[in-house]
Amino acid sequence: MSYPDWFVLVITLAIIILYGVYKSRTTQNLDGYFLSNREMPWYIVLFSIMGTQASAITFLSAPGQAYTDGMRFVQYYFGLPLAMIVLCVTFVPIFHNFRLYTAYQFLEKRFDAKTRTLTSFLFLLQRGLSTGISIYAPAIILSSLLGWNIYWTNIFMGGLLIIYTVAGGARAVAYTQQLQIVIIFASMFIAGWLVVKYLPEGVGLFDALKIGGAMGKTNVITTGVREGGGFDWNDKYNLWSGIIGGFFLALSYFGTDQSQVGRYLTAKSIRESRMGLLMNGLVKVPMQFMILLLGVLIFAFYQFHDAPLFFNQTQVQKVQASTYGDTFSKIQDHYQELDQQKKNLVQSIVASGTTEISNVNREALGRLNQQRDSLRTEFKALVVKPEVGGDSNDANYIFLRFVLDYLPKGLIGLLIAVIFISSWGSIAAALNSLASSTIVDIHKKYINKNLDEAGDYRVSRWYTLAWGVFCIIVAQFAYNLGNSLIEAVNILGSLFYGVILGVFLLAFYGKPVKGNAVFWGALLGEALVITLFLMNEHKVITLSFLWLNAIGAIAVVLLGWLLQIFLFNKRVTY
Amino acid sequence: MHEPDERPPLFKGWNTWYLTVAGMLVLMIILFHFFTKYFS
Repeated sequence: MSYPDWFVLVITLAIIILYGVYKSRTTQNLDGYFLSNREMPWYIVLFSIMGTQASAITFLSAPGQAYTDGMRFVQYYFGLPLAMIVLCVTFVPIFHNFRLYTAYQFLEKRFDAKTRTLTSFLFLLQRGLSTGISIYAPAIILSSLLGWNIYWTNIFMGGLLIIYTVAGGARAVAYTQQLQIVIIFASMFIAGWLVVKYLPEGVGLFDALKIGGAMGKTNVITTGVREGGGFDWNDKYNLWSGIIGGFFLALSYFGTDQSQVGRYLTAKSIRESRMGLLMNGLVKVPMQFMILLLGVLIFAFYQFHDAPLFFNQTQVQKVQASTYGDTFSKIQDHYQELDQQKKNLVQSIVASGTTEISNVNREALGRLNQQRDSLRTEFKALVVKPEVGGDSNDANYIFLRFVLDYLPKGLIGLLIAVIFISSWGSIAAALNSLASSTIVDIHKKYINKNLDEAGDYRVSRWYTLAWGVFCIIVAQFAYNLGNSLIEAVNILGSLFYGVILGVFLLAFYGKPVKGNAVFWGALLGEALVITLFLMNEHKVITLSFLWLNAIGAIAVVLLGWLLQIFLFNKRVTY
Repeated sequence: MHEPDERPPLFKGWNTWYLTVAGMLVLMIILFHFFTKYFS
């Protein structure tokens, strides 16, 4: 990176930290530290919810996803608006009326202490681990692309935000997220505008989309039905898995994960919480659409420019240095030859002056891209050879590779800053929620019930710091375990979210079902979800992990009812 | 303890807001469908 980039990066990060510290004045008790004294307006709640959900990987991965697989990933979010409605109807009024600090407190009021402790433990386990990976995932990308030391990158990625998160709690988190979202979207918009600007003369946004569309990248809606008929249950992103699976995932995440519940509990009223959530339901899908569109534009851009065989240069260097170096050279030469043919063809289409791509040209372009994809697959096979031991997924590197190779000085620094601050938004909220659940659900319940307000405040700050350190340690450990852990932690979320949601659904809608039935139903439901996951891993069945959320929730609801009726209390009264 | 169910901004009741959010989702899916068809 150049000096102007370093300057912009350091200044942007410093502004965020100083702003967070400046906004950190709050009353020194649990209400002030974890809930901003419940005084936030809906638009701060909205920014906070968005900033918590959107991590760095959202902005790195989604354009790469569109580049490689098209825009169908947006369907993953179709269930979210519906989940926001259910939350507003059921969860929000109850959480507000009981004046809770954590969602799990409600489970003790409704069921018993062991159910509350079980769910809060599952949350702490899953969120603590996944936050560590949220630090590691963007850090490894920056480390590979910029040659930074991964351990120091982890420390900066996960460490600097601790300053304002410890100092100001939920209030500092919410206000910095507001500023972060503004910087992130302004930067992404400039990046998108520059991609279109860098297209050859006479080629505009519409033409770029036509080129992307001709290569199957504008596939926003897919049905998941195989060509020969029948639904593909292993297809991750289609209309139905998006609406049904995405609904259960969003309901679990926003309704039962304290990192999100803690955001809308800061609202000054039920009305402000609801408005924040409903606005999130309105803007989330178009926002994801725009980020994916950026990926399609970058794809179109690379039809006119040299596209790297593989976007992660660290892996390329590893293969070059291995005994597969000669094989790599042959693949690379062939790839460059095809790339040149592709560029000539696309330029001839543009030179013809028509925006329509004829079937002949479409087929020729498709054939060339298919051949290039085959060479990429051949190269990826080399990357995963035991001697190389690399990561064959380069989708997360596509956007930043483009940024580093083509964007002007200064803007590169700003977009690297975007990676940091988008990470900080979600990590800060996670640390705040981990600390709140630890002190409210564990410390004040089992360790010291008699803490006064000053003690609450002091211990809460220590827990925030401790979780920050823990998550950085997880990130450092993740480096030694390899790249597959990122996907493993995503799946880990799906293993637990559905079951926790099932417990909450019974709490809200299963009035006759009592604590023992729910507790054992949750344990059995968890066993079922893990069994299905293992069966899928061993190819006994084919089931995308997104469905595990729905299955987990439904299993807990059914098992809870059955256990209540047949085992714990045969007479169910309504 | 129960807070009053406050009236939402713009509309008379929350149900109108819920229908608006659901309706916008349906509208977006329809528009995305045409987007997919048109550019592919």
